[in-house]
Amino acid sequence: MRKNMDINLLFRIAAIGILVAVLHQVLVRAGREDQAMMTTLAGLIIVLTMVIREISDLFDTVRTIFNL
Amino acid sequence: MEIIRIIGIGLIALIIIIVLKQYKPEFAIYISLLTGALILLLLTDQLTGIVNLIQSIAGKANINSQFLSLLIKITGIAFLSEFAVSICKDSGEGAIASKIELGSKIIIISMSIPIISSLLEIILQILP
Repeated sequence: MRKNMDINLLFRIAAIGILVAVLHQVLVRAGREDQAMMTTLAGLIIVLTMVIREISDLFDTVRTIFNL
Repeated sequence: MEIIRIIGIGLIALIIIIVLKQYKPEFAIYISLLTGALILLLLTDQLTGIVNLIQSIAGKANINSQFLSLLIKITGIAFLSEFAVSICKDSGEGAIASKIELGSKIIIISMSIPIISSLLEIILQILP
C-alpha cells in the first residue's frame, strides 16, 4: 500500500494547487475577489490536512524507531 | 531499488514545485514538506534495522544500555530537527530554522547531563 500511495498524494496536491489557481483567476476575472480568496483558503486548508496527516504519520514512526 | 524510488519522488516533486511556484507559491512549500516526509517514511525500515543492529552489538559488548538508549534518542532528535530546519531554510525563513536548531541543541545537552556527570565521576575516581 505504501508503494503507490505517496506518489498519488503528490499528484493530488499538485492537482488541487492548479485547480485553486485556475479558480482564483476565473473568479477574479468575474469580479468576485472575495470568493476567489475563499476558494484559495479552502484549497490551502484541504492540502494542509493531507500534509499534516502525513507529517504526523512520519513523527509517529520516528518516535517508535528511536523510542523518543 | 529503494534509492530509485527516493530519487523519483524527489524529481517529480521538483517538477511539480516549479510548475506550482508561478501560480500559487504556498503549495510549493506544501509539496516540499510532503516530499521530505515521504522520503523519510521510505527510509524507516532501514533505520529500524540500523537501530536494532546497534542495540544488539551494544548488548553483546555489555555497554551500559541506559547511555545507549540516550544516544539513540539524541539521534532521533537530531534527525527530526534537521528535517524541520532544512525545510524552514528552503522557504527562506532562516530565523525560524536557527531557533529550531537552537532548541534541539539545548534539548540534546539537557538529555546528555547524566552521561556528562557519570563521565566526571569516572575521571575523579581515576585521579589519585
